[in-house]
Amino acid sequence: MTRQLLTGNGAAAWAARLAKVDYVPAFPITPQTEIIETLSAWFDNGEIPGRMTTLESEQSMITAAGAAAITGVRVFTATSSQGLLYGMEMLYTVAGWRAPFVMINVSRGLSAPLTLEPDHNDILAARDSGFLQIHCATCQEVLDSTLIAYRLAEHEKVRLPVIVNQDGFYLSFTREPVEIPDPALAARFVGQFDPENTQLRASAPTSQAVAVLGGSPYSYFRYELHLAAQQALDVYDEVAAEFAEQFGRDYSAIESYRIDDAEFAFVMMGCFATKAKEAVDRLRDIGWRIGLVRPRLLRPFPEQALHDALADKKAIAIIDQNISMGKGGVLHTEVASALYGAKAAPLLTSYIGGLGGRDISQEELFEIANQLKQAVEKGSAPPPRLLYTAGELREMRKLQAIAHVERQELKLGEESDNDQGEGND
Amino acid sequence: MTETAFRRMKDLPSTRLLGTGTPMCAGCGGLLALHEIYDILGEKTVFINAAGCMTLLSVYPFTPFRGSWLYTSMASAPAGAQGVRDALDILLEQKRISADEDLQTVVLTGDGSAYGMGLSATSGAIDRNLDFLYICYDNEGYGNTGQQFSEATPHAAKTSTSSGPRGFPGFKKDLFDIWAANRPAYVATVIGTEPLDLARKIEKAKNMKGPRLIIALAPCPTGWDYDPKETVEIGKLAVKTGVWPLKEYIDGKVVHTKIPRQRKPVEEYLQKQGRFAHLFKPERNEKLLAEIQQRIDVYWEGISNE
Amino acid sequence: MYRIRFHGRGGQGMKTASRILSNAFFLGGYEVQDAPRYGAERRGAPIFAYVRAAKQPINERGIINRPDLVIVADDSLVAIPAAGVLQGIGPQTVLMINSHEAARTWEERLNVPGQVLILPVTEEVEDRAELPFLGTTCAGAAARLIGIIPLEHLQQAIRDELAHLGTEIVEKNLQQAAEAYELAAEYAGKVIEGTEISAQDYAKPEWIDMPFEVASISAPTIHTGLTSELAATGTWRTMRPVIDYQLCNRCWWVCSEFCPDGAITVDDEGYPQIDLDQCKGCMICVAQCPPHAIEAVAESVAQLAEATEATEATEAVGDKS
Repeated sequence: MTRQLLTGNGAAAWAARLAKVDYVPAFPITPQTEIIETLSAWFDNGEIPGRMTTLESEQSMITAAGAAAITGVRVFTATSSQGLLYGMEMLYTVAGWRAPFVMINVSRGLSAPLTLEPDHNDILAARDSGFLQIHCATCQEVLDSTLIAYRLAEHEKVRLPVIVNQDGFYLSFTREPVEIPDPALAARFVGQFDPENTQLRASAPTSQAVAVLGGSPYSYFRYELHLAAQQALDVYDEVAAEFAEQFGRDYSAIESYRIDDAEFAFVMMGCFATKAKEAVDRLRDIGWRIGLVRPRLLRPFPEQALHDALADKKAIAIIDQNISMGKGGVLHTEVASALYGAKAAPLLTSYIGGLGGRDISQEELFEIANQLKQAVEKGSAPPPRLLYTAGELREMRKLQAIAHVERQELKLGEESDNDQGEGND
Repeated sequence: MTETAFRRMKDLPSTRLLGTGTPMCAGCGGLLALHEIYDILGEKTVFINAAGCMTLLSVYPFTPFRGSWLYTSMASAPAGAQGVRDALDILLEQKRISADEDLQTVVLTGDGSAYGMGLSATSGAIDRNLDFLYICYDNEGYGNTGQQFSEATPHAAKTSTSSGPRGFPGFKKDLFDIWAANRPAYVATVIGTEPLDLARKIEKAKNMKGPRLIIALAPCPTGWDYDPKETVEIGKLAVKTGVWPLKEYIDGKVVHTKIPRQRKPVEEYLQKQGRFAHLFKPERNEKLLAEIQQRIDVYWEGISNE
Repeated sequence: MYRIRFHGRGGQGMKTASRILSNAFFLGGYEVQDAPRYGAERRGAPIFAYVRAAKQPINERGIINRPDLVIVADDSLVAIPAAGVLQGIGPQTVLMINSHEAARTWEERLNVPGQVLILPVTEEVEDRAELPFLGTTCAGAAARLIGIIPLEHLQQAIRDELAHLGTEIVEKNLQQAAEAYELAAEYAGKVIEGTEISAQDYAKPEWIDMPFEVASISAPTIHTGLTSELAATGTWRTMRPVIDYQLCNRCWWVCSEFCPDGAITVDDEGYPQIDLDQCKGCMICVAQCPPHAIEAVAESVAQLAEATEATEATEAVGDKS
């Protein structure tokens, strides 16, 4: 067992190596590419057995991944953002095939405007695809979750593809100390891939992924997929418990940080959640009772665990690094659904922050906590808020001036800022 | 053959239409070709772009173009051109805009899209006889993500996904022939380091209708691993060694526009680039060098007999 | 927690510097985090990388806004606002600049609250983009300024991080780092761990409610051409092309034609003019000019000459008045 410095991308590549994957269909996209470059070098110099094939698109890549998995080999692949979306048709399709494999998604905001920096709209677009989703907050978690993901994907009750998600730049290009499990122990934990009766062989003909006519068989197959995803909740708990026992690191379906006696809570996904841990510590230093809840599993959705962790709080701030156009934060909606009907349910406040890699500062987390307190005093939650400052809008105005955005209307915009700005103070 | 305005170097434009200040690397061979092309196409153009290095030409609020620009996605730039062309045609037909508001519809992509992910949309656009000019800056790899091999990568080149001792095991796809097989209006190869040849071809393509392709070999200091000041020298060597044949497909025939009288040995070209260093160090890979040379010789054998 | 930023140009090894330093911390039992700041990263373009190190697990993420130590590998970056070298420098911050000039000169010029130290330029090269050991030099100096990193951890970190470059290069880097470590001895331990932001009295974020604006304003559309000319890519340059007009024979403007960026225009008389605000310094014009009328001059030398000229001109004006 060695602890060394790895980026999130490096950790993902190491996980594929430890899981002894047979096949890596690939296509480059920032900020994921380092994963396939690392694996490519290992394949090229014979350090690991198996094969990597660069396809001509992500749609082809995910097709090849699913096809190889249902032919009976262990598959690993990785993508990000536009690539995930370009493969979207096949995400739904290969999940429907019940093809078990693991894909890393390195989260990055979606076009348009095109950006390279992270938020969670890409991965949430895949929310309903049938892929299970594990969201990571550290480079260590990327490695460990990928090993867990193989157990989950290949479990006889589940047999579904799994996406392990990490944030672009903030994890993918950031090195942290990562404990690389002993290869023999890791191999024993992940086990051999047993394709069961899903394979293509001359001796046992199968016709896979066939069409249906009519809603009745369609409903059967689709609902069975949903039931399998729900089964994955218990399976995940079992596998995570086994992982904790063997490797000493605990990855329950939701991470709860200083939550038990808390009156207030932050709820966040992904690596920005560690910033909230820091804020929790500082706030507790001055007497606050506040904690953090971070769903690791998004699909299947750990509804009961979230309910149990949050239902008795006074107020909760859900900070979404995504936005559903015309609705708001996706996690906010999901958490609300988990708490609906709870007696004396907490006030929920919604914040959108970190879109396209926009940083979230400690000061902003402190301010959110203060707004929670005020909301409890007033008995009502403030309207949803985008974390965005007057200074940022001023900079935006400069860019718009360069872009020759029409000035008269701009001026109106600026006046309305001032009005609203005063209202906030 | 039509009369050209570009008979000698002095006829080339000396005003520069493309703006400075782009984030392309210093010494970019693709940008070199683009500025030469733009000088001749002029500002009544709309560039429809697919994901690649040149996507970063227009990053809010900065653009180097005097005319227009539309970024689409990696796979669908020719479809974007279809929509723009159709809409402009509707507006022109119904006299909702005057003829001088028309734009030359230009697809601008790298080799990753042109040779790979965008080929299906390209094929459709050719089938529909779309009136558009396709410019591919070909730096022989996925340059914007750090030079992984693409369908345009030459045999034996080292890339970040072909780092073994033999480099890339595949061969550069012949996009020129794939296009030509579809009998489009025009196909040509160019390089920024042969500006007169380039100018004549752009002039010709500009005045045609239907699907037209320009493939510009784009020496890439970052991806090919050489000092930026060598870009022009390496480009010239690509032509002199016969690695990059300058040719055009027009009226159903392929014509070579510049046949090197005495081709230089290919290793003069290879030696200047880090991506081929493993062919020379630690020892010369005579077999692979001979293979590469032979492939070029075989290509030109046919040409000399023309 | 220690928070350190390295500023340099693409190609000067700032990512390597951050990796060596964080590895050296790690070898001493620290929890660490290191990352480069990738933008449209190009050779010569300003970039930075950062390191966090603490005895406890690190929960902070992203760019360092309150640095304890800022190391600048290339002093020509200090004056470029977009490089962000001076961002967040407070009274506790140590700012170390790799420069020919004195600390005093920089202190007067910059007027920042932190302490300025100089990492003397030891290796004289023409083109500062070609300083292969600058990264290790910076890491070596940083390690000593921090004070708690022993030389052997620094050396081990260099061996770890550069192993893929072969023994000879590793040895050269070890030597460079050791020299920088020695040079910084006088200021060993100058850098102290920064504190955490208090949840009690923090600067309230100036949040605003995003105003609704119609698509004609709020779509990502640029409504004019040529705005890229406002982006000064001349800051990437480490070498400057200088035309000797005595030698220029007003050919068919080879330099202008082959300048990828279109940064060379031709005036009415047929003479080329280089736009130094935009020239990225690729030196193709130098390589291609038929009568060899363009010379490559180190940017630092050219800037120094300009500054001297400007001073002399001011003095001359002063004399007259």
